[in-house]
Amino acid sequence: MADFIRNPVVALPDSNPEAHFSEEELVFTPEEKAKIAEYVTQYPTPDGAVMWVLWLAQEKFGFLPPEVMRLVATELSLPYAQVYGVATFYTQYYKEKKGTYVLDVCTCFSCQFCGGYDTLAYLEEKLGIMRGHTTPCGRFTLREAECLGACGSAPMMQVSNGPYAYNLTPEKIDALVDAMEAGQPLPFISVTLPQDEDEMGGNRRTDAEAVERYAVPPVAKRTQ
Amino acid sequence: MTKAGDWQSYKRVLLPPVKDLHHLDVYRAGGGYEALRAVLSDWKPDEVTEEVKRSGLRGRGGAGFPTGLKWSFMPPVKPNVPRYLCCNADESEPGTFKDRQLMEYNPHLMFEGILIAGYAMSLKACYLYVRGEFANWITLLQDELSKLYDAKLAGSNILGTGFSMDIIMHKGAGAYICGEETSLMESLEGKRAYPRIKPPFPAQSGIWGYPTTINNVETLACAPLIISRGGDWFAGVGANKHPGPVLYGISGHVNRPGVYEYPTGMLITDLLDIAGGIRGNKKLKALVPGGASVPVLRADMIDGVTMDVESLHEAGSMMGTAGMLFLDEDTDMVAFLRRVARFYHHESCGQCTPCREGTGWMENLITRIDDGEGNLRDLDLLLDLCDQMEGRTVCALADAAAWPVRNTIKRFRGDFERRCRPSAWAVNA
Ligand SMILES: Cc1cc2nc3c(=O)[nH]c(=O)nc-3n(C[C@H](O)[C@H](O)[C@H](O)COP(=O)(O)O)c2cc1C
Ligand code: SF4
Ligand code: FES
Repeated sequence: MADFIRNPVVALPDSNPEAHFSEEELVFTPEEKAKIAEYVTQYPTPDGAVMWVLWLAQEKFGFLPPEVMRLVATELSLPYAQVYGVATFYTQYYKEKKGTYVLDVCTCFSCQFCGGYDTLAYLEEKLGIMRGHTTPCGRFTLREAECLGACGSAPMMQVSNGPYAYNLTPEKIDALVDAMEAGQPLPFISVTLPQDEDEMGGNRRTDAEAVERYAVPPVAKRTQ
Repeated sequence: MTKAGDWQSYKRVLLPPVKDLHHLDVYRAGGGYEALRAVLSDWKPDEVTEEVKRSGLRGRGGAGFPTGLKWSFMPPVKPNVPRYLCCNADESEPGTFKDRQLMEYNPHLMFEGILIAGYAMSLKACYLYVRGEFANWITLLQDELSKLYDAKLAGSNILGTGFSMDIIMHKGAGAYICGEETSLMESLEGKRAYPRIKPPFPAQSGIWGYPTTINNVETLACAPLIISRGGDWFAGVGANKHPGPVLYGISGHVNRPGVYEYPTGMLITDLLDIAGGIRGNKKLKALVPGGASVPVLRADMIDGVTMDVESLHEAGSMMGTAGMLFLDEDTDMVAFLRRVARFYHHESCGQCTPCREGTGWMENLITRIDDGEGNLRDLDLLLDLCDQMEGRTVCALADAAAWPVRNTIKRFRGDFERRCRPSAWAVNA
């Protein structure tokens, strides 16, 4: 956030960078427009819908270069500078092209002491890239994340703003990376509450795709 | 007997042991939405707020503000002035992961609480602000929410009583600061989430300038329990100055981390036993009792301390979000503080100079100490920096950054001094 002011990764609003998408690509389909109209009705003014529409645009285009932000601004009749301001405030909006899979490894304090940095270092080595970078094949981007709200299952990571992977070990990471390389979708994992294990003998959601337990965290070798 | 009473035989109420409780029909079969029905047909809005006041419920989002009092701050209803509730599911405080589990396992308790709060304060709608990282949980919640609309339990004319209220999901996009109530409102309005100066308080001028109340997920989930079992029942659970059931999110070096439901006022040592003790038969070194913002406690400070505002305040800390991080004897407190400072530096919105620059200098100074290049007087410089930041900014993030830094240095000064080079003089000797 604040460091964005110092090191802007997106060309500033007054510059005219080269576009990543052509005029023909830069349109919302009628279905998308209907969705946007639905978002707009949920707020007193169209401004409120901007975050949802940026999410929609990011799903469609993969990331949010200036021309996509402009498209969102036009669609909602908002000033470009406002959309630009919102898009650059949040870490989950990608301002530059990312890999097919973005691996956000949590290294915040609970994870830090339970192997978050070990996980990150393992992935750096495995993928041959440093944190913050994308593999040359364009498949993986590796990032260091702040607390993702799953501290009891440390170390953990989030994949492409979607599913969480918990209690990571080198073997688990290998299996996950293999699955991603094979293009398999990652399941939503339900983590069983310890009291449910005691009182109900397992996970309470019978419809859970995959289940995992809270586990004893590993000893962290690195803490930075 | 501790303040928590007979906790060994405590029966969970926020997350009662019922299979598939997240399904609307299962929740209703167990008496769900009956509290709402009772309130809508037999209670006056003010009576609901009074009952919540009687229960002694305090907010579970971090500040611990009495919820009934907060609800009573809403101004009198005026025609054509909509009023709103924001349910704060931004849960980004490091060490906190209870709201996510509540939304996964008992979302309807939260929805029912939202509707009860809506009736008590005569609201038009509730925005449920969920952090963007919880994308999968947002999908789960949307499914349940559409079932709620189909069952006429949300939207217009709820249960045929003439009361109407919408619940609208809003997806964040990764910013800790959006958990701060005024920042959350700015984010909802489609702006950069810069916190606002208070006053005006949200009850006077909230989202789009309309009266607004902001409550945490777990706080709202307590409302149906208060209605169905009575405020007096709630007030009798746990510590009397800070009553009710709480979700303790236990993480760190314990054998059995996870979210546990118990009454407030639990002895910290009991909770550590429940979580299986420190892993590898090691000793406890430090405990963060309620998320990264609250002062860390040394192992020798927790004897007899219970998890409620009163006892934790006496011990020199706060309840925060009840996200407890236990750290074992091998923990490097300098590395710990370095990461905490980094977090606040990254998450500062950049609006106020003391916070934007101060958090950066904190990180730089602690990094220098961690790298073995710090001087003894850097410690005093850091403490001085904390004084310069605290209470001088728009929101409490700067305070939340200063508290752990000040207290970790004070309480583990030896750890820090050992890493510093001796200097010729000290700033505040
Ligand atoms: C920097 C900062 C971050 C916060 N983050 C959260 C959060 O993630 N979730 C939350 O419920 N409250 C958070 N709060 C507290 C809210 O501002 C607010 O007090 C709370 O949501 C009120 O709900 P309650 O009265 O039910 O506790 C945060 C406060 C500050 C200052
Ligand atoms: S204290 Fe920090 S986070 Fe809060 S408004 Fe000021 S700069 Fe932003
Ligand atoms: S610290 Fe890693 S998820 Fe919270």
